[in-house]
Amino acid sequence: MAVHSSSRAANRVLLVLGLALLAALLTLDLASVAPNRILPGEGVSLWAWLGPWSASVWAFPLLVMAFAWRGSARALVLARVVVVAALALLPWVLAAFAASRVPDASSQARVTLGAGFWVLLFLLLMCWVELHARLRHGLWLVLLPLLSLGLALTQGHLESLALIREYASRSDAFHAALRYHLLLVSAAVGLSLLLAFALALAMRRFPSLRRGGFALLSLIQTIPSLALFGLLLAPLAWLAARYAWLGELGVQGIGWAPALIALVGYSLLPMTRNSVVALDGVDPRVVEAARGMGMSPAQVFWRVRLPLAAPVILEGIRITTVQAVGLAAVAALIGAGGLGTFIFQGLGQAAMDLVLLGALPILALAVAADSLLSALARLTRRQPGREAR
Amino acid sequence: MSETPRIALKAVTKRFGAETAVDAISLDIAAGEFCVLVGTSGCGKSTTLRMINRLIEHSDGEIHIDGQPIREIDPQRLRRRIGYAIQSTGLFPHWTVARNIALVPGLLKWSRARTRERVEELMDLLGLAPSEFADKYPAQLSGGQAQRVGVARALAADPEILLMDEPFGALDPITRESLQEELRRLQGRIRKTIVFVTHDMDEALKLADRLVVMRAGRIVQQGSPDELLAAPADDFVTSLLGGRDRGLKRAALTPVARLMRRVDAGLPVEPAVAPDEDLRLALSVMLWHRVECLAVVDGRGRVCGSLHLSDLMRAGI
Ligand SMILES: Nc1ncnc2c1ncn2[C@@H]1O[C@H](COP(=O)(O)OP(=O)(O)O)[C@@H](O)[C@H]1O
Ligand SMILES: [Mg+2]
Repeated sequence: MAVHSSSRAANRVLLVLGLALLAALLTLDLASVAPNRILPGEGVSLWAWLGPWSASVWAFPLLVMAFAWRGSARALVLARVVVVAALALLPWVLAAFAASRVPDASSQARVTLGAGFWVLLFLLLMCWVELHARLRHGLWLVLLPLLSLGLALTQGHLESLALIREYASRSDAFHAALRYHLLLVSAAVGLSLLLAFALALAMRRFPSLRRGGFALLSLIQTIPSLALFGLLLAPLAWLAARYAWLGELGVQGIGWAPALIALVGYSLLPMTRNSVVALDGVDPRVVEAARGMGMSPAQVFWRVRLPLAAPVILEGIRITTVQAVGLAAVAALIGAGGLGTFIFQGLGQAAMDLVLLGALPILALAVAADSLLSALARLTRRQPGREAR
Repeated sequence: MSETPRIALKAVTKRFGAETAVDAISLDIAAGEFCVLVGTSGCGKSTTLRMINRLIEHSDGEIHIDGQPIREIDPQRLRRRIGYAIQSTGLFPHWTVARNIALVPGLLKWSRARTRERVEELMDLLGLAPSEFADKYPAQLSGGQAQRVGVARALAADPEILLMDEPFGALDPITRESLQEELRRLQGRIRKTIVFVTHDMDEALKLADRLVVMRAGRIVQQGSPDELLAAPADDFVTSLLGGRDRGLKRAALTPVARLMRRVDAGLPVEPAVAPDEDLRLALSVMLWHRVECLAVVDGRGRVCGSLHLSDLMRAGI
């Protein structure tokens, strides 16, 4: 190995991940099959399902390890083909499993994803991330597995998965919750952006506000979410009782009002801090030149300071949005609705698949918001001369 | 001077809190004059400059432009009439070169066609090929190119007055010298009233029609470079001018043509100097070749005169 340049050295991370993949396939239950929602399922390992044919599945981690051992750029590209293919095939493996174990899809019998499946998914994603960091990016790497999953879902091949059964029996409630979740998050992000921006401007104009302002915002940040909801309950209930129009708007001690207030409260610190840092960080010489050329204060702000601050402000919006997507789940506890509802219902009924019905879309939303806003920030940051990193 | 000076400072003072940065300075700058403020750092040069376009408001005294007190002019309107170029260029990193140059015309609401024409004219004037540079961003330029764009931007709306605050301060010596050369040539053509700040005495001597030496917020001496070199007012000016090195500095300001004899003394054509080269260079050539007189050869290679060490001595250079 020592004679090769570093790019030809074996990729140890990928080797270990491949080994772990193999171990997971050999030891853990892929899924379990239950006759209905109440009875516990019976675990099935890969070997129990496919017997000697399991070897065809082992081929994937073995190939990854072989390519990782070579370690050249070409080998890593091939490793990525294998990983992306595995991710794309995963829904179809599940579909085949479901078809063989629950031949009658209209029965109550269901397939629950087992530890083996989750470990597999996790390890494959780790491989994906490792390769993503080393190779050129491409949209198909994300789209192919997602399209494959979408196809398997819409073609009805995954109907007997417990997760899908939970969804099917409450699809209206699910869509309503999803919409509500999105509404709550966008309202919170929008409101806190406006507030934070106003605060940032005020802090820049009156620097004496900074200390106290940030201390207060950090204080809000340290209150646990449940405690904050509790703190809001009494004053909001009192306000709603005192002013009828507030009550008519739906403001109560529980429900959307405290949820929105809390979400905005938590969002203010990252949003304000990033806005202040961004606006402060603009090169003073550029601002001096802008003033010296005869730009009005408004022109300096809108045409110079704000555009130059935009990437960092967008970064604040990104942090806040991802955080709000997660926090909005907790708001379900005070009757604010949203995807969190399924998580807490599922926990109450010990129905893990119902928990997943809430948790997986939240995860997906967070990842989507994160990558979308990062892409946007990259776009605004793109000043040629520094592009193509 | 009977004409109204383009820029007149009358006992202008600037205080920052208790500190007096500029202390009752008076200065008249005629139209078309290249005036250089020079002095050690912190002596109030930038403050003086920035009071002229009201980036800083003066505390006391009066500043007039073409006889009008600048306090009567709206600061933004005033600044759009005055070109401003600074050390780091202050180019907008998110705008292309062409858009940066078009900044002030844009503020003045020029038509698109007129602006485009002007931008190309300026880029040509400053040796920036429009086809190559118009769509580049500042981060893609070298320091010298960025500084040219900064000067083009300052000249965009054809202002009468140009304020320059150590515009070449961040450049390497070679780029700096070539830009100084170019600025001098440019000034020969456009004849703006330029106020130029620097702490580099060689730069000041090379560029100035009038040199204003500042110290601790006051003007110590002003005059042409030659006048200052001939009679520095005090030890401070003397040391700023390079102390005992100033003989050569002064020689560097005088062209050979001034002291040459317009006769062909039958000297060999080698070693020789050109009439527009300076006496410092001529001295160096004499030293190198151990001769006391040189042929002066013009651009077409013809001998047009001779230069004698004894004449240099007599002239007191
Ligand atoms: N905005 C300001 N606030 C307070 N003091 C300043 C400010 N600008 C300049 N000064 C002070 O004024 C003096 C002159 O500064 P300046 O004009 O920038 O000097 P220089 O000759 O180096 O350009 C310095 O002592 C500087 O500290
Ligand atoms: Mg200065």
